[in-house]
Amino acid sequence: MQTNRLSPAMPLVGIVAGLALALCQYMIFVYAPVEQTMGIVQKIFYFHMPLAWWSLISFLTVFVASIAFLRTRNWKWDALSGAAAEVGVLFSGLALITGSIWGRHSWGVWWTWDPRLTTTLVMWFVYAGYLVLRTLDLPRERLGTVSAVVGIVAFLDVPLVFLSARLWRSIHPAVFASKGGGLEAEMKTTVIACIVAFGFLWVALTWLRAAQRRMAARIDVLATQTTI
Amino acid sequence: MESTQWLLVANAAVWLGIGAYLFLMARAQQNLDRRIRHMEMLGDDK
Repeated sequence: MQTNRLSPAMPLVGIVAGLALALCQYMIFVYAPVEQTMGIVQKIFYFHMPLAWWSLISFLTVFVASIAFLRTRNWKWDALSGAAAEVGVLFSGLALITGSIWGRHSWGVWWTWDPRLTTTLVMWFVYAGYLVLRTLDLPRERLGTVSAVVGIVAFLDVPLVFLSARLWRSIHPAVFASKGGGLEAEMKTTVIACIVAFGFLWVALTWLRAAQRRMAARIDVLATQTTI
Repeated sequence: MESTQWLLVANAAVWLGIGAYLFLMARAQQNLDRRIRHMEMLGDDK
């Protein structure tokens, strides 16, 4: 049986992600200067922002893969949307937690009903619900179709999250809304390095999880055929 | 709590989250490998 064959490039992406994240940690704690107003706690931004950005890309992937699944009925798209949703929920959850820690230090509260924070929390619950939906005991075809439709509709909240700090009065900073975001050169280099590092991690996790989901689906089909 | 500790707590939270997800993925892989072995054994018996 060939079900446990993985692409040879997959471990390579994992190794690159590990090395890039190690470099990212070095740049956060050693290379990047301490911001004068907020102090060292501002460095939370270097992993908070990449996590938030890659979670939005995850949900964009769910949206695109769901459309692709409805058009082609190819199960690889279903596996990809499930994997991307999982990684997106993980990354957005971690972005919420790190943002909350930063908020407790800077604003004195763990949480405030700010438009950016509220739309992000709603997005987290929507995609957590999507993952619960995918575990329902329904016929495979029907579950795939329902998941794809929900994966498309759920994306409605994602542009709102991205634009919330610009559309409404928000205390959340809209980074890079102004030209360059007002960051020093070392800070900008660090944030770009961390976005790239978390990008490699995102690719590695999504790729591996999608492969696992494809493998599980194939075993389910074979098990059903064996039973019949 | 000092500013440095807030930073370290946030950093630890990120690695705990990623570590927990990797652990769950490893468990899922073990489960898949077990199912494959089981099916191979069933195939050998036939």
